[in-house]
Amino acid sequence: MAELVNLTIDGISVRVPKGTLVVDAAKSVGIDIPVFCYHPKLKPVGMCRMCLVDIGTPKIDPATRQVVRDEKGQPVIVFGPKLTTACTTPVSEGMVVRTATEQVRAAREDVLEFLLASHPLDCPICDKGGECPLQNLTMAHGPTVSRFDYDLKFHNDKHVPLGDLIFLDRERCIQCGRCVRFQSEIADDPVLQFHDRGRGMEIVTFSDPPFDSYFGGNTTDICPVGALTTADFRFKARPWELKTTPSLCTHCAVGCNLALNTRLETKTGGYEIKRVMPRQNEQVNEIWICDKGRYVHHFTRAEDRLHYPLIRQDGKLVETTWEQALRIAADRLERPSAILVGDRIANEDAFLIAQFAKAIGAALEQRPALPAHYADVARAVGIGSDADFKQLGAGDVILVVNGDVEEEAPVWFLRLRQAVVDRGAKLIVAHHRSTKMHRYAAAIHRYEVGQAAKWAASQRADWLQGARNVLIVFGDEHLDGSSARALAQTLANWLILGGFAGKPNSGLLPLYPHANTQGVFDMLEHATRPANETTDTLWLVGVGADEPAPRANFIIVQDILLTERAKRADLVLPALSFAEREGTFTSGDRRVQRFYRALPPLGEAKPDWWIVQEIARRFELPWRYEAPAQIFAAIAQQVPRYAELSYERISRVEPQWPPMGREDLYYGGTVYDNTGGLGARYAADAERSALSPYDVHVPEPTLAGLERTPRLLYRDGELIRRSAVLRAHIVAEPLTA
Amino acid sequence: MEAHHLLREKRTSEIEAILAKYPPERKRSAIMPLLYLAQEEYGYCSPEAMREVAEILDLDPTEVKSIVGFYTMFFEHPVGKYVIDVCDDLPCALRGADQFVSHCERKLGIRAGQTTPDGKFTLRTVMCIAACDRAPVIQVNRVYHYDMTEEAFDRLVDALANENGTGEAPNEQKQGLDVL
Ligand code: SF4
Ligand code: SF4
Ligand code: FES
Ligand code: FES
Repeated sequence: MAELVNLTIDGISVRVPKGTLVVDAAKSVGIDIPVFCYHPKLKPVGMCRMCLVDIGTPKIDPATRQVVRDEKGQPVIVFGPKLTTACTTPVSEGMVVRTATEQVRAAREDVLEFLLASHPLDCPICDKGGECPLQNLTMAHGPTVSRFDYDLKFHNDKHVPLGDLIFLDRERCIQCGRCVRFQSEIADDPVLQFHDRGRGMEIVTFSDPPFDSYFGGNTTDICPVGALTTADFRFKARPWELKTTPSLCTHCAVGCNLALNTRLETKTGGYEIKRVMPRQNEQVNEIWICDKGRYVHHFTRAEDRLHYPLIRQDGKLVETTWEQALRIAADRLERPSAILVGDRIANEDAFLIAQFAKAIGAALEQRPALPAHYADVARAVGIGSDADFKQLGAGDVILVVNGDVEEEAPVWFLRLRQAVVDRGAKLIVAHHRSTKMHRYAAAIHRYEVGQAAKWAASQRADWLQGARNVLIVFGDEHLDGSSARALAQTLANWLILGGFAGKPNSGLLPLYPHANTQGVFDMLEHATRPANETTDTLWLVGVGADEPAPRANFIIVQDILLTERAKRADLVLPALSFAEREGTFTSGDRRVQRFYRALPPLGEAKPDWWIVQEIARRFELPWRYEAPAQIFAAIAQQVPRYAELSYERISRVEPQWPPMGREDLYYGGTVYDNTGGLGARYAADAERSALSPYDVHVPEPTLAGLERTPRLLYRDGELIRRSAVLRAHIVAEPLTA
Repeated sequence: MEAHHLLREKRTSEIEAILAKYPPERKRSAIMPLLYLAQEEYGYCSPEAMREVAEILDLDPTEVKSIVGFYTMFFEHPVGKYVIDVCDDLPCALRGADQFVSHCERKLGIRAGQTTPDGKFTLRTVMCIAACDRAPVIQVNRVYHYDMTEEAFDRLVDALANENGTGEAPNEQKQGLDVL
């Protein structure tokens, strides 16, 4: 427990850990000191002077080093001759802070008058208008008139592309440096900097490519004015027109919490996602999301979304009714069948599919197939249910094996990098190629492509001994199934033999391909049976276009889009996307979280669980689920690891620090506060009972692993292709070793 | 992006000498001396010069540009052979800097911020250059000339215009400044 310091702010006694800044101490008791350049996730710089307050400290007798007391025995408080920036001043014992004096009020007014001297005040056409800290703080603390001559306003460039994703309005910029510091301190991609000084000071980029950072969108959230806007959202809607729904990102294993901002469009008559915003979850994504999560949403309203079931007639796919489609599907599934399930569908969908496959004796496989070779190991020796990335630091070892964290799980990259760079955890990286993580590594191991398991087997099992915690992040790049399994088992053995298994901040962290790889595995586990040559009917539920599938006489494709795969199907069942329905995902670190319905259903498309249930009913399975919540209750009963979970539990929220959201726009930015639930991790096996080491068999690697492209963030796929802003970023070429 | 090598080809030993002054993990600290070197070699801090310095120091080019943009002694645009910086900050202004600047403009036939068509002179106004006690004061290629008068300025410019190419400004009252 950190040492605590007592102080008073506006007469309120405050007790906060040593090192806390005055601005945060005030926030902790609900006193809002206005800020622009300060941001609770960035290092303080004291540049804007908005946070000036009156600070006094107890007078110390130089001779005795004792606090001087007045006749009443109260410490004598000495106030500085000038106001002090609350954002750079740490609290000290006995400090007295006054934020409501006339001097402070006048200072705020003056700072705002200066900030607005050349500000265009074009709020009516500014994307930030309505959620703008400058606007709000001006209303609260600013002058009503300006003494500056209107004709002396400085005019500056208004639509400066800093890359193809972010635009800069130079006259709105107040030079707070939040964007600059985010790019340098958090993203470690210093492509934004100040240029010139005084009135000429402006934000520039001179990088190649310019501002094309995986995390660039976050700068538009923390920019306290409308100077930075995304190509995706600028001029698209006013913030007050937007409806907000808690959701989850489906694109990697991190499980970032999102807020979907939707609006009813007069043009199309339907609701649309206008923008995707981060939703605060300090345990998952803090307040950040990557640009893929932010910009890839356009597939939800793509032209080729499926609205109706389609059946092949005379070689062509034609619309049909659900009644007919379900009957045909059920008829065909009477024959020897195989079901392949993608790892982006919800737990509730996967659970019903597994029950159904078992009941009719169908083969059942997960896609991509590779993670199923090691997901049980990752789960067994996973990080503790109370693990907290923020606790990782000095004394801890973070080992990254065969994974590219920035590409495969971008927000984990941010968090692990901070554990290393800011808090002193030791990073060891092992890979066949270079990744951004290599920059921070204390030790680097290299091996031939595909040889990760062999490399791991060649290490002494006790080589990580002595660390406080050991977190092992691993990926399956260029590995085949048995190598990936051997790798996971070897890594698990280091943790088991080293006594790290079951400790909260130690364990395996798998870089799975999608948001629900772990959940689909957990649901399918006991019903999985490989497909063989006898497959007559093949049912593909949310399976990517490049996934191998067995031959079959009749192919049913269940998807949200008319994908290349759907175009070749015999029967196409239209599913709702994550934005049009609710459900749960289980992240790579086993956090089960809810997503909610943000958009009305599209045409006659249905949630995957509904489609499965309707087909199952034609097999006389007695299901009558009306909502995912009921299915989740069944999961809790039948999947032991999920026994302690419920919608009620995972929907719980509690106050998070730092406070973010609409009330605190000026402080944290336009990130949304969490109203949808913080989720909960189910326990790793190692937390329940001691595990014995795996008996590892390291195979000779096969070519199977080499053929797959690495999972780069902007790898080509059916969804990213439908996002106009991201299309130019797609990496089609596989990375060579 | 193609790499730029002018500096590394021509000034190898000087680069090494500069880098040797800093611990390898702090080599970004060598940015100022390297930029002076690059400015000499490329003529000004051209985009290529900034990119080469970034490459040498493993920095993002934006970081280099930011430093160049902050300091007036790094030129982001081509300048004349002689860069004349006239201080027009408050103390110099009290000693008539504004009229003095106008005189300079007239003499050279250009506005402050411009370069003469023959590429010989660039005239700039600058913030306090820390010689207020002897205002008005100017710097010609970083060499100070104090207690300037219009006549002294004319003599200086005429001498430079006819000079034999040493690049050194003749002067009554000057003082060198070793910035490297
Ligand atoms: S940044 Fe804020 S104050 Fe400035 S124009 Fe936009 S909405 Fe108005
Ligand atoms: S662009 Fe925004 S975040 Fe960046 S310095 Fe300007 S006001 Fe601050
Ligand atoms: S100076 Fe404190 S918030 Fe900017
Ligand atoms: S004001 Fe001109 S040198 Fe100081």
